[in-house]
Amino acid sequence: MSEQIAFWILSAIAVLGALVAVRKRNLIHGVFALMIFFAALSGLFLLLLAEFIAAVQILVYIGAVGILLLFAIMLTERVAGDDGRRMTSRGWFWGLVVAAAVFVVLLLPAIQQWPTPEVTQAPDPSVEELGHKLMNPYVMTLEVLALLLTAALIGAVTAAQGIRKPKEEGSPE
Amino acid sequence: MTLHHYLILAALLFCIGLMGAFTRRNAIVVLFSVEIMLNAANLNLIAFWRYGDNPALQHGPLFTLFAIAVAAAEVAVGLALVIAVYRHFRSVDLEVMDTLKEE
Amino acid sequence: MSLELIRDILVATVPLLLIFPTLFAFTTWLERKALARIQNRIGPNKVGVPLTRYGGRFSLFGLGQPMADGIKMLFKENIVPRDADRLFHLLAPILALIPAMLVLCFLPIDFPWINNIQDSVKAFMLDGAVIFFFAITGLNTLAVFMAGWASRNKYSLLGGMRAIAQMVSYEIPLVLSAVIVVMMVGSLNAAEIANAQAGWNWFVFTPWGLAAFIIFFIAALAETNRSPFDLPEAESEIIAGYFTEYSGFKFALFFLGEYIAMFAISGLAVTLFLGGGAGPGVAALPWLSVIWFLVKIFALIAIMIWLRGTLPRLRVDQLMGFAWKFLLPLSILNIFIAGSALHLLAGGRLAGLDEKQPILRQLMEGANPLVVAGLWIGALLILYVAANGLNQLSRAKVRPREYKYAE
Repeated sequence: MSEQIAFWILSAIAVLGALVAVRKRNLIHGVFALMIFFAALSGLFLLLLAEFIAAVQILVYIGAVGILLLFAIMLTERVAGDDGRRMTSRGWFWGLVVAAAVFVVLLLPAIQQWPTPEVTQAPDPSVEELGHKLMNPYVMTLEVLALLLTAALIGAVTAAQGIRKPKEEGSPE
Repeated sequence: MTLHHYLILAALLFCIGLMGAFTRRNAIVVLFSVEIMLNAANLNLIAFWRYGDNPALQHGPLFTLFAIAVAAAEVAVGLALVIAVYRHFRSVDLEVMDTLKEE
Repeated sequence: MSLELIRDILVATVPLLLIFPTLFAFTTWLERKALARIQNRIGPNKVGVPLTRYGGRFSLFGLGQPMADGIKMLFKENIVPRDADRLFHLLAPILALIPAMLVLCFLPIDFPWINNIQDSVKAFMLDGAVIFFFAITGLNTLAVFMAGWASRNKYSLLGGMRAIAQMVSYEIPLVLSAVIVVMMVGSLNAAEIANAQAGWNWFVFTPWGLAAFIIFFIAALAETNRSPFDLPEAESEIIAGYFTEYSGFKFALFFLGEYIAMFAISGLAVTLFLGGGAGPGVAALPWLSVIWFLVKIFALIAIMIWLRGTLPRLRVDQLMGFAWKFLLPLSILNIFIAGSALHLLAGGRLAGLDEKQPILRQLMEGANPLVVAGLWIGALLILYVAANGLNQLSRAKVRPREYKYAE
């Protein structure tokens, strides 16, 4: 019973947060709505007994990706969005139609009653099993992910810095 | 709550993200929408893990962990590209960045 | 949602809401007196027992000062700048306070009233506490930016941007130092980490634990924007940084949030490194562990106040260079040393250990003393050389000073 109330409240917050984030003209308000969306999603992960993923969601998305989005907004223009330009792109109507069509297509298998397997036991929410799996079968994935993150770090720094002119000798660091 | 509730919620969130990506002109809002879509997919993964038949395999959290890490890397590179493009075009409007299009 | 569950949750959380703000009031008085004495003055000593005449009667070393400050802040006018974002201006101090108070539940303080609550509530509070702690501390950055942005003030925005850059950079050495402790214990559970250090087996007495504790403490100073990392709220540089446009009760909320965050992070440092409630006499009287925990938190707070009064402020490029070029490589090297020490201590025994007990304690029980001594000296030597090397590498490349007048 309490799980149902929590689910409906969290999903309402998530949907509202996502809607506000994509429809607001003011980008800073949009980012904060997006962070509310991430927090609601973290709550939903907690409901689904994935404690570690809930903590990682807050840590990575709200603590890092959100801050990164804020920094990027600060570095570009149209932050508060109060000029008179149009907010929507040129093909917005057909984009909306396609999005609605994708929703219908995704909904078709979701509403059908196919035989769900018997839930034998609720998953153990602790992190220990996850740690074992990360080390034993999936260690190569972890290493590749580390390489990917390093490449992304170097790439992002290089792309954002632009091309630097070579410095003259003797100038202070 | 059954699996169907979570699947419908994830589908709705995905399509809100898709609508944002198609509808807005600002490149950063498109990045917001991509993040919303990725999170909806993660919700789907965890829901299937929770209501699946062998949760001890931990495939849900594993896949989601990798998806979160890859999404964070992608948003970092994407924002670096947006900043680099802004430096050239002086605008983040997607309709201004159409120099590859034929007239 | 049974009534017992609600009652258990209230029993677990409400006393924290009463105890820690009282400690906060005492800490503000302590800070003002201690800073004053360091700066060769006296500090507040007039306000004593309320409703008596000040100056001579019952002034009690100024212990009534926090109460007077609280009443003053409640009565101040609430000014919001005209073009400021009203909603965010109101939300920012609330959002700064909530994570700080929320993480107080994750500290494994064995209050006597906690013993009677349900096991599921206790388990939720403590299981995975370490990672939840870091996740929720990260929400503080958001509140700081919201405060800086909503004030519509260039100084506030500058302070806010510097503050979030600083907090995000120093989160990494903070988490990496905690990873060492989690590696040694083998669990994210705060109670298990505290119990693994029972007696005098504190992690700060191991070489990697000592290095990790120092890195954690420095990063914790930076996370809570305390001096010498208080550039975002520096009084002589950008007026008050992101606090500038706040007056009255909202400023009091920010102040409260900052001090409670200090308590929370000191509490985590005590849990991870300083034994968390372990001390002489705990075996006989279990409630003494609460006293020891609070004493240790206060010792760390006293060190923070001491550092505030003594050290000058770091410049923003020095601050970022310190985090990325010194603390981060040092903490990664520390993890490497801790892991190799674990393997060298184990020999071949690592596969046969019982995974439910703390790993380090099992290894130390059957270890050769010569190997342990060698590991200690080796680890300390490597860490010292690395710290010196990184320090030399990050020095500014300037010529040595030429004194024109002083000889």
